[in-house]
Amino acid sequence: MTWVGRPVRRREDVRFLTGAARYLDDLEPEGALHVAFARSLAAHARIGGLDLGAALAVPGVAAILTGDDLADVGPLPAIGVEGAWLAPAAHPVLARGKVRYAGEAVALVAAESRAAAEDAAELVQVDYDPLEPVVGARTGGGVPVHDDVPDDVLLRWARRAGDPDAAFASAPHVVRRSYRIPRLAAAPMEPRGAIAEYDPTTDLLTVWLSAQDPHRPLAQLAPTLGRPPESIRVVVPDVGGAFGSKGALAPEAAAVAAAAIRLGRPLKWVEDRLENFLASSQGRGLEADVELALDGEGRMLALRARLLADLGAYLLPTTAVSPHTTAMLITGTYAIQDVDVEVVGVATTKVPTGPYRGAGRPEAAYLIERLVDAAARELGLDPLELRRRNFVREFPYRTAMGWTYDSGDYERCLDAAVVLLEPERWRDRPGRGRLGIGYGMYVERSGGLWESAVVRVEPDGQIVVRTGSSPHGQGHETTFAQIVADRLGVEPGEVEIRWGDSRLGPAGVGTFASRSTAMGGSALLAALDALDEERRRVGEELDVREAAARAGGLEASGRFGSELVFSSGAYGAAVELDEATGRLAVLRIAAVDDAGRIVNPLLAEGQVVGATVQGLGEALVEVVAHDETGQQTTASFADYHLLTAVEAPEIEAAFVETPSPLNPLGAKGIGEGGSIATPGAVANAVTDALGGAELDLPFTEEALWRALREGGS
Amino acid sequence: MAGAAGGRLVKPVPFAYDAPRSLGEALALAAEHGDEAKLLAGGQSLVPLLNFRLLRPARLIDLNGVEALAGIDAGETLRVGAMTRARALERSPEVAARWPLLVQAVRFSGHPQIRNRGTVGGSCAHADPASELPCALLALDARMRLRSERGERTVDARDFFVSTFWTALEPGELLVEIQVPAPSSRTGTAFLEHARVHGDFALAGAAAVVTIGDGGTVERAAVALLALADRPIRVPAAEAALAGRRLDEQAAREAGALAAAAAEPTSGDVDHRRALGAELVRRALLEAVGRAAA
Repeated sequence: MTWVGRPVRRREDVRFLTGAARYLDDLEPEGALHVAFARSLAAHARIGGLDLGAALAVPGVAAILTGDDLADVGPLPAIGVEGAWLAPAAHPVLARGKVRYAGEAVALVAAESRAAAEDAAELVQVDYDPLEPVVGARTGGGVPVHDDVPDDVLLRWARRAGDPDAAFASAPHVVRRSYRIPRLAAAPMEPRGAIAEYDPTTDLLTVWLSAQDPHRPLAQLAPTLGRPPESIRVVVPDVGGAFGSKGALAPEAAAVAAAAIRLGRPLKWVEDRLENFLASSQGRGLEADVELALDGEGRMLALRARLLADLGAYLLPTTAVSPHTTAMLITGTYAIQDVDVEVVGVATTKVPTGPYRGAGRPEAAYLIERLVDAAARELGLDPLELRRRNFVREFPYRTAMGWTYDSGDYERCLDAAVVLLEPERWRDRPGRGRLGIGYGMYVERSGGLWESAVVRVEPDGQIVVRTGSSPHGQGHETTFAQIVADRLGVEPGEVEIRWGDSRLGPAGVGTFASRSTAMGGSALLAALDALDEERRRVGEELDVREAAARAGGLEASGRFGSELVFSSGAYGAAVELDEATGRLAVLRIAAVDDAGRIVNPLLAEGQVVGATVQGLGEALVEVVAHDETGQQTTASFADYHLLTAVEAPEIEAAFVETPSPLNPLGAKGIGEGGSIATPGAVANAVTDALGGAELDLPFTEEALWRALREGGS
Repeated sequence: MAGAAGGRLVKPVPFAYDAPRSLGEALALAAEHGDEAKLLAGGQSLVPLLNFRLLRPARLIDLNGVEALAGIDAGETLRVGAMTRARALERSPEVAARWPLLVQAVRFSGHPQIRNRGTVGGSCAHADPASELPCALLALDARMRLRSERGERTVDARDFFVSTFWTALEPGELLVEIQVPAPSSRTGTAFLEHARVHGDFALAGAAAVVTIGDGGTVERAAVALLALADRPIRVPAAEAALAGRRLDEQAAREAGALAAAAAEPTSGDVDHRRALGAELVRRALLEAVGRAAA
């Protein structure tokens, strides 16, 4: 019996569905104070003064710390990306001197209850000297967000490959478009939170975090607090979703940790939904000018892209990641070697952006796939034929931007998507509205770096795996147990999986970029290989449990590292547009993903469905909006809309498996394809329904109704 | 680490709290505290406003313990106690059989979890112009029974809804019951709404009640709109234009146009909302007449 490749049901669901999971808010250290943050009401202002008198008088308030009190802490490290210039604009743990977005934490209030802390936070009097808010992305021209960054540019990155200027100058066809991708909220079900406890006798700081993994927050906490990493323990309990937004240390979590040391009491902060909307990093936020040069036969000759990213007020640890990824993947699945890409990330008086499901890849796929459809329309070519003429077909393939695609079969994915979408079925159906059919390809960087794992077999036969890869909804317990079961010849249920504690677990990099199966799973295989060595040393003829019984337990660890692996896929969308109202009905999404070898097709399909609905939300309803004063007007679920099961369309999913040659599992990533490819596929379907008129996201009923009236033919 | 913190879930500003067990007690408290107090019914609108601290009442009078205020009596006239949950209305076989418009409407109202808590009276007294039940009740010529320590009065739905979050209720007065007259035979109804996502506030919506006479023409029609003015509104011009006519595609379209003309959207893309209202009225009328004939 082989377990890898079988649709084993998620074992963790029993815990989650019966309410037995233990989230951060279920933890309560003895004697903990509760934290609420006084947050800036202004988008951009100098802080004239702070009056804490009324707040300190609230019964139950123990202490209030301001940016001046924590002047020796932080800022959070802003992590660079290869080839990028970053401005000195790291996020402070608490605002000092100036506030740069509405919702920025100004003071930490610690009280005997969260209720008392909130009452007091409201009474923290801040004397704001207002400055002009910077709501739209632009380079300079007003009051700078950071005094020492006069042009408001926080990030610059540019790369040229080949001779794009010559290619554009001589190309028979050049297609140009501009697109805007709005900011989005990650909106995980469980908001952010941190608990911190300091033991002066051992100088150990323990921080419980709702986070994607313990490793990156720990690595960022150490320099922020000026403490050696060994003096910090990070524990991640069950996590109710993150979608990228809990991958980096939150400024508030750093403030809580610093304050716990300062106050000598455990502190607990669990944010509410309003705080999550105001102060958790947001995704996307990009304006792009893109140009594609083609010859008479529809061969893509060269690509240019100018990307303007609205990064927000500061560089959070991973703010630079997404725009860089967009730039690196801008050529998508196409063989274009003459490329010119420039990224400018600018400061606005808004909460910083950060990775959000897809993290730069949805932007890249959206831009290139809309541009390809636009080119097909201008050249009078079938959009699928244009794609087929330009696909990368030989692997490994080194892109113009410098990444190496390890494996893939883009045409097979596209062919499968057409079969699943059944375009002729919709075209032949007696329509009530205008039909639109559209496709979008994607290629996704995943994997990379390294992970580690430890496998132990106790003398009584108990099998315990400790992995550096911790889950926040992906189903690691199930898939990792399948991998171990195959190697040890046991049932997955006999394998216990442990994770999430930087002291007890092995080291790791983290759960992001859909990398856990490829990297964490392969690290597990490395550990299992080493365990087998141990078994043989005890006795070649013994099975692993016999060897463990004889040797008083067997244990081995493994580490696995590799270059990036590249998932890919093709998505198709069939939509119907109601002429009278502008309402868009999504009839079907065809989702074909190549994530290499699939360990568990049930969980993989679950990832596809979830990501697709999330991507559809981006296409149809999701948008973070601000008014002209810089206040977010979408800071609750009454104004920021998420799709629910009611809106979930028919999703037909299939997998193409081109195993990655870079890891022993042959795995690539599956967690994000749906959110990467769906917006572009739906955009192309909508454009088809509108007869070529192109709208920006999201495709609201009003916008579509107006487009229909303004001459969509 | 164990246990839950005390009081950490309380987000509103501090307030006094009363939990009367009888209508008399509730009326006495309402009379005593007047505008100082807010009445808590299902809490589906009030509690978020409290938690955001957008509302800061000194006192809450919680009506959830007043059992006499809840219940459905489907006699000749439908009598719905103000504290009846939306879900109870939705699941009542009598209501579904004789006042199907209420069931058709309430299904657009939030999600099941919200309807499990939210009350019919709370929705009416809150008077959000995008609420479904007020619009449906207006279309059905409902009457609202109001009580205070000073006495009792009954107000037509069309006079009850004054403007956004504003009703005919006086300080100290409670909405205690909603009365809906029996429908005529050969009556069909329909309720349609568009929102960003299901359960969200409506962009626009329409209720239609159509009674067919002996000749197959419209004996009586009621058309009501939601989210297209500062309150739910009837469209008398459309109703008059339909009376005595065969309700065909042309008649429905004309009624839709009259509804759009009557609409005064207060937010969003006003042109789109008018056009949406016209289309939803057209579709609702055709659906309703189909059911009336069935």
